[in-house]
Amino acid sequence: MDPVLETDQLGKRYGRTWALRDCSLRLPAGRVAALVGPNGAGKTTLLHLAVGLLRPDAGTVRVFGASPYDNIRTLADVGFVAQDTPLYRDFTPVELITMGGKLNRRWDAALARHRLADLGIPPDRPVGKLSGGQRAQVALALALAKQPRLLLLDEPVASLDPLARREFLQSLMGSVADAGTTVLLSSHLLADLERVCDYLVVLNAAQVRLSGAVDDVAASHRQLVGPRHNGEPIAGVAEVLRASHTDRQSTLLVRTHGPITDPMWTVHEVTLEDLILAYLADGHAQTSHAAWGVLT
Amino acid sequence: MIWMAWRQHRKQLLFTVLGLAALAAFVVPTGVAMRKSFADKGLDGCLSSASQRYPDSACVAALDSFSNEFGGLAIVGVLFVVLPLLVGLFLGAPLVAREVEHGTHRLVWTQGVSRRHWAFVKFGLVGAAALCAATVYGLGVSWWIAPLHDAGSIGSRLSPLLFDMQGVVPIAYTLFAVALGIFAGILWPKVLPAMAATLAGFVAVRIPLAVLARPRYIAARERTYPVIGAESAPDPDPDSWLLASGVRDASGRMVAPHAEIVCVPNSGGPAGGCADVGIDAYNWQLYQPGSRFWPFQWIESGIFVALTVLLLYLAIRRLRRLT
Repeated sequence: MDPVLETDQLGKRYGRTWALRDCSLRLPAGRVAALVGPNGAGKTTLLHLAVGLLRPDAGTVRVFGASPYDNIRTLADVGFVAQDTPLYRDFTPVELITMGGKLNRRWDAALARHRLADLGIPPDRPVGKLSGGQRAQVALALALAKQPRLLLLDEPVASLDPLARREFLQSLMGSVADAGTTVLLSSHLLADLERVCDYLVVLNAAQVRLSGAVDDVAASHRQLVGPRHNGEPIAGVAEVLRASHTDRQSTLLVRTHGPITDPMWTVHEVTLEDLILAYLADGHAQTSHAAWGVLT
Repeated sequence: MIWMAWRQHRKQLLFTVLGLAALAAFVVPTGVAMRKSFADKGLDGCLSSASQRYPDSACVAALDSFSNEFGGLAIVGVLFVVLPLLVGLFLGAPLVAREVEHGTHRLVWTQGVSRRHWAFVKFGLVGAAALCAATVYGLGVSWWIAPLHDAGSIGSRLSPLLFDMQGVVPIAYTLFAVALGIFAGILWPKVLPAMAATLAGFVAVRIPLAVLARPRYIAARERTYPVIGAESAPDPDPDSWLLASGVRDASGRMVAPHAEIVCVPNSGGPAGGCADVGIDAYNWQLYQPGSRFWPFQWIESGIFVALTVLLLYLAIRRLRRLT
């Protein structure tokens, strides 16, 4: 099946700094994908490239096989909720729904109205006076009313309290499950998304560190505990991501390419959270020490 | 999309209308009063009957009285010159800058309307509103200032400031200011810097054009007359705009810049300045005839409309690359 979102060697530069570099990934249709990475990793840049707000400086980005840059035919199939859920603050939710109807050819106003009615959001109050959670719901309703085949959400829950987070994600999943919408949502915390996503893209320091279905990722990583390890190859291990040692014992987080049969090692499953932390720790830049004039 | 642009800018448009209403509250009563006084004093008759440059004493007194009564208002009229700039600052500059500053461009540019379409509608609506406001204002001020000009209270219509606030140029200035504001808002997509850039850009274009280019739109005319003999300057057109003047000697060398010397013939003796400059000297003046008011209005409007079109073209081109 053709991927919904495909990038190839994609790069975006601000001045001399690459915000995103050599980013190649394929997001299959029907997935709910988490885009995880620390602040400044390039998540927003990747999403803005995918939704046609930015033009790539290197490589290509394709959405439904076409470049999305200022391309309204492709954008008609893409719903987008930007970071901090920007809305015209003096518009009421009703007016925003009217606006969506005027700006889009395909528009399900009834769907948006039903959603917001179910959530108890006042229709006639300017959205600038709603709470952060309510604003996020309004923004999501606007994105869903486009009946998108791809839904992109940039840190949709970052400004919400834990209860509102759960409600937001629940209502999101309720809406996309039936329609088979492909979803890509970003967060700097996996814990926000772990329950809802079945696909994972880990971004750090402008590069993709890991991407794949959650099941595959979970199956291909293991924690090994065994005698002190000095770097010699282990059968079935493709890469050691993280190693910690005591005098006699080593704990390794590894990516596998086959079963680990060596009886020397005790094999444990790893949580997604540990796994992601290992990938993120990997890319920590040390340049700022020089910039600050301090020694490490 | 038109609904959207209207909904977004209706408040600004309302304030524009209120501003015009406030202006009308000043212009209409004073304008009516001026016209009434103009008629009561019989100035119409004075100015038309004679075609004479030296009206009789009753008329002179009436004109003086009118000028004393209303001449001071011309100072208020100077304030009208800044109105086009205000429209550019408050309608033009925030148009794109505020979207980007508030992040709402990420909402509106990801809907099913291309940036170009969005820009056409928004620029069109705000531009049309500015055009209407400027037309009302330009015609209103022209109507208001006509009696002051006719009575000779304020000098030539071509002179700086008076030229700038009447006729069609205010409309062209307003459109230019709006286009400049939009363009500045795309270059610096934040409201305050965009407004500052609009202010600086507007002044940087308007003043050099008014001071340096305007006197040269059409080659100025020269007028010479002897220092001895003429009773006063032979002025065929009291509405002409004097650019430069002075006294030259027989060889054409300027001997007394910015001066005019008129001596009574055969008075004998070292009378006034005549003794210093010699009897062959002559007065020299460089001027634009008042009859060129409308050609100058159209030339200057043409320049600003052309600049407006250029700025809008660049704005839309740049908007597509704005990220």
